[in-house]
Amino acid sequence: MSVAAPIAEPEMEKPLSPPLSSAPTDLTPDFSKLEDAPEWFQSRARAAWEEFQSLPMPGLRDEHWRYSQSKNLSLDGLHLAGETTEAEKQAAIEGSKGLTHVAARLIFLNDRLIHSQTDGLEQGVVVLPFAEALRSHGDVLQQYLMKRKADLGSEKFAALHLAHVQAGAVVLAPKNAVLKAPIEIFHWVSGVNSLVFPHTLIVAGDHAQVTVLDHHASLRDEVAQSVAVADFVAGNGSHITYVNSQELADSARALHISSTTVARDAQVKALQLQLGASFARSESVSDLAGEGSRSDMLGVSLPFSSQVVDMRTLQNHLAPHTYSDLLYKNALYDKTRTIFSGLINVADGAHYTDAYQKCRNLLNSADSEAVSMPGLEINADQVKCSHGATSAPISADELFYLKARGIPDQESRQLIAIGFVEDVISRLGHEELIESLDRRIEEKFARQAA
Amino acid sequence: MSLLIQDLHACIPDREILKGFSLEVKPGEVHAIMGPNGSGKSTLSKVLCGHEDYEVTSGSVTLDGEDLLAMDVDARSRAGLFLAFQYPFEIPGVSNANFIRAALQARLPKGEELDAVGYYKQLYRRMDELEMSRSFTARSVNEGFSGGEKKRNEILQLMMLEPKYSILDETDSGLDIDALKVVSQGVNAMRSPERGFLVITHYQRLLDYIKPDIVHVMVEGRLIRSGGPELALELEAKGYELTHAA
Amino acid sequence: MSVETPDIADIRADSVGDFYFPENHVYDAGYGLSEKTIDYICDVKNDPDWVREFRKKALKVFEEKPMPTHWATTDLNNIKFEEFRYYLAGDRKAKRSWDDVPEEVKKTFERLGIPEQERKFLAGVEAQYDSEAAYSNVKKVVEEQGVIFMNSTEALQQHPDIFRKWFGKVIPTGDNKFSALNSAVFSGGSFIYIPPGVKVKHPLQAYFRINSEQFGQFERTLIIADEGAEVMYMEGCTAPKFETATLHSAVVELVAMKGAKIQYVTVQNWSSNVFNLVTKRGIAHEDAEVRWIDCNIGSRLTMKYPGVVMKGRRARGEVISIALANTGQHQDTGAKMIHAADETTSNVISKSISIGKGRATYRGLVHIPKHLKGCKNNTECDALLINSSSRTDTYPAINVRGNEHATQHEASVSQVSAEQIFYMQQRGLSEAEAMSLSVNGFINDLVREFPMEYSVELKRLIDLEMEGSVG
Repeated sequence: MSVAAPIAEPEMEKPLSPPLSSAPTDLTPDFSKLEDAPEWFQSRARAAWEEFQSLPMPGLRDEHWRYSQSKNLSLDGLHLAGETTEAEKQAAIEGSKGLTHVAARLIFLNDRLIHSQTDGLEQGVVVLPFAEALRSHGDVLQQYLMKRKADLGSEKFAALHLAHVQAGAVVLAPKNAVLKAPIEIFHWVSGVNSLVFPHTLIVAGDHAQVTVLDHHASLRDEVAQSVAVADFVAGNGSHITYVNSQELADSARALHISSTTVARDAQVKALQLQLGASFARSESVSDLAGEGSRSDMLGVSLPFSSQVVDMRTLQNHLAPHTYSDLLYKNALYDKTRTIFSGLINVADGAHYTDAYQKCRNLLNSADSEAVSMPGLEINADQVKCSHGATSAPISADELFYLKARGIPDQESRQLIAIGFVEDVISRLGHEELIESLDRRIEEKFARQAA
Repeated sequence: MSLLIQDLHACIPDREILKGFSLEVKPGEVHAIMGPNGSGKSTLSKVLCGHEDYEVTSGSVTLDGEDLLAMDVDARSRAGLFLAFQYPFEIPGVSNANFIRAALQARLPKGEELDAVGYYKQLYRRMDELEMSRSFTARSVNEGFSGGEKKRNEILQLMMLEPKYSILDETDSGLDIDALKVVSQGVNAMRSPERGFLVITHYQRLLDYIKPDIVHVMVEGRLIRSGGPELALELEAKGYELTHAA
Repeated sequence: MSVETPDIADIRADSVGDFYFPENHVYDAGYGLSEKTIDYICDVKNDPDWVREFRKKALKVFEEKPMPTHWATTDLNNIKFEEFRYYLAGDRKAKRSWDDVPEEVKKTFERLGIPEQERKFLAGVEAQYDSEAAYSNVKKVVEEQGVIFMNSTEALQQHPDIFRKWFGKVIPTGDNKFSALNSAVFSGGSFIYIPPGVKVKHPLQAYFRINSEQFGQFERTLIIADEGAEVMYMEGCTAPKFETATLHSAVVELVAMKGAKIQYVTVQNWSSNVFNLVTKRGIAHEDAEVRWIDCNIGSRLTMKYPGVVMKGRRARGEVISIALANTGQHQDTGAKMIHAADETTSNVISKSISIGKGRATYRGLVHIPKHLKGCKNNTECDALLINSSSRTDTYPAINVRGNEHATQHEASVSQVSAEQIFYMQQRGLSEAEAMSLSVNGFINDLVREFPMEYSVELKRLIDLEMEGSVG
């Protein structure tokens, strides 16, 4: 798949917030820690480490990094996140302000579990920290763990993740289990130049329904990097709703690689909410594998200052009568950039596909820059497909209308921007979840105003 | 001279739908076929027009003595068979006027050009009869038309192409009473000793406006009863349950 | 129109351009490409030293640049550069009268209807046969207005000052591998200069004909419309379908000075063995307009993305394109809109039709850099698929900086459905007529943008391509 325009050289810019030290780092995993992990996992982790070492950093000609660059995720000077103090743990637990009603809540700090609350689980739904799941549900993990190859540009980082992964949540919902309350996971990072590998795996059995909310946050404003992987496997007729809420510190960097496999008549909604980090990249793949399956791919970003948000998506229609709808909205301020590159692929034989893709950018400053690369590759018949991309400032009419009601300029603009992204958030269809994310967006505006 | 259907059997890949259907429509006659959902009424109209989803397994259909089943879809149309579709298709980018003109042109011998002035005169006259706004000539065929507008457009085409035998497939479905009257007037205006009609409907209501000579009841792929207009009233009153008993 | 001689070889009788005459060259650079080839071309053409140098530099750039297969099709790797001939010509000097044109060349163009069109509605015609123009003439009234219209080879000799000032300035040699190739071996093509305020009423036309096998045609066209001038240029092309590949790689540069208007119309109908790799770009100065109307029906692989650099305030750029990809064809087309001044506006409308196993690709680039105000782009691209084994791709990139611009991109994919065809057939249209009507409905609003004479030709060519594509 080539997502290029003709004869255009990628833009080159200096990498964002370089780490404090640029010495090459030793990220060799300590495989001795894996002694009680299943055999298969040990060998996969070792193989992944080999793969990480053999793969080059993606270059400037790599189509998946067009208008961006992998240097923004340079590993130089970074180290594996280390031990933390009791006070830091306390700060992380207190800072984990999330939803009121949850079925389970796990809190990790520097890839270590520091809090677990699972008393709201019912109908056989299991939520386990990764390391424990490896021991107790090794067979399930063997079947699903990172089985969908990352192929939107970060193969090298995915390999590094697999070589190091030990934290994150494994959510297993058995057949017909319907969990109303969301499962909430916090991933905190602390310490200058810390590198963390949060993992999320959701496996929903036939007709099961489950909602998971991941938070990524920093204890302090310092350089750190999160290389997260999240995989969702939706069985026949199941429903998975997932939110990645990224609120890392302004100097941190975030990578989120996710894959979704949707079986017959199943539905997955996944939202990328990018609020923090100097450079945040998401790579989201949705494989519509079963007839009647549906995937809603949602994204919201609100970059301020010099933040860069880099979003890569693939709507991969593999079966007939499948439906996907992507809506990414970015409201840009100051000297920020967003890069959206999306592809709808309708495979040979995936007839009667409906696929939609829309990227809308609201440009709020003279120095903000939005790049949109919406793509289509259609190999099937009787397909309804469209994509659209718009980039524009706030409409003068809209602004005038609000001001005519006595709302000052600044507030009017903020209201319009919030309204602009709100229709993406509201598509989650879960009231408390929507309110909680809205609050985070408003807080971000408040922080910027301060 | 007639549209003669004899012992027609037709199927889709997994199922036989017409199971020995026979009917003769002579010029000047209006036949109505009524029947419950799934009796094969709409299949009949598509099979007669040559839709490729249906396979004719046995039986014969002749149009004024010519073997209809041996002809392509468009040849059947040019031979004089017209279907007013239950769900007319939209053709983006092709204006209504150009479409009907192309259909008329296809009926002329090669090299002969349709007289454009006469064509528009006739088109406007027919549109006025159907109370259609002139704007419909420039609009794409059926695109964005309401259900009623689509049905009027079907009758407009019927009036312009002047077929010998017309099949009206559930033309009344989705029409309010005013639209139903207009559409029926259009059909009635076309009634003549030279033309035969086959009106397929689920409801007796349409037959108040298009008065049939003969009413047939179709169940499970064949006709099981025939009678005068009073049969339609009987069906309306007693429902199709009675047809099972018959 | 058809003048038969025993020499002519008809490959396909129903096609417009599928015939050829035996080769009758005086000049032949031989197979393959090296410095020697370039020296041969320079010697034959009597190029000035700076051109020889320019060509040799370009050859190096061509050799160094990799094939762009990291984003483009790997079919490019099937081009065997050593198997082509890079310069083939009979008489080097273009004739001003058809009577002086060699018999087989004249017959070729007569069969293609060029002299007839010239009489009917053209202000001037240039007809290129392999590497050089065989005929070049401009109507007297136009010439008297000071319009220069001649082939590039002549212009280089006769108007070196204007030529050199603009040559290679819109499209630098190193823009891409094929612009470098053209810069190394260019021959033929048109040179047009329209003096300030002159509005050329009738179109100027060039026709590019390939007659020889295993040959590459590399014309170079440069059009300059001075302040307030207006011109429409139309080009057509055909080649016989040989068993082996043919290469066509042109560079076209347009310069629209303040308030000028250039419309460039292409009807590309190469035979299906032609690799058609063309670079086209225009510069629009203040209040100027550059409009590309591009229609691609033929060739095996076309890669062409006409561009406009809007350099002056309120400049406008437009690309209107129609591509038709049949079995064995890949139409990889698009548009590049570079906004480089305030209040510039660009518009792209692209429609593609994929038939059989054909593949149509749209690639677009819209660039609105920093510190500009009030720029607008609108892009619409629609694809029509006719047959489940055809394919269509769309890859736009839109880069906008700042909060004073508006861009909008929309794309859709649709089908001609079997039910739609059935409906039309029930009204008495044959399957082919029904298909033709649907396809014309899809492109109708765009065909209207073409000059009358060309839109008729275009519809006829499309109908010809549609034949046998259904059922």
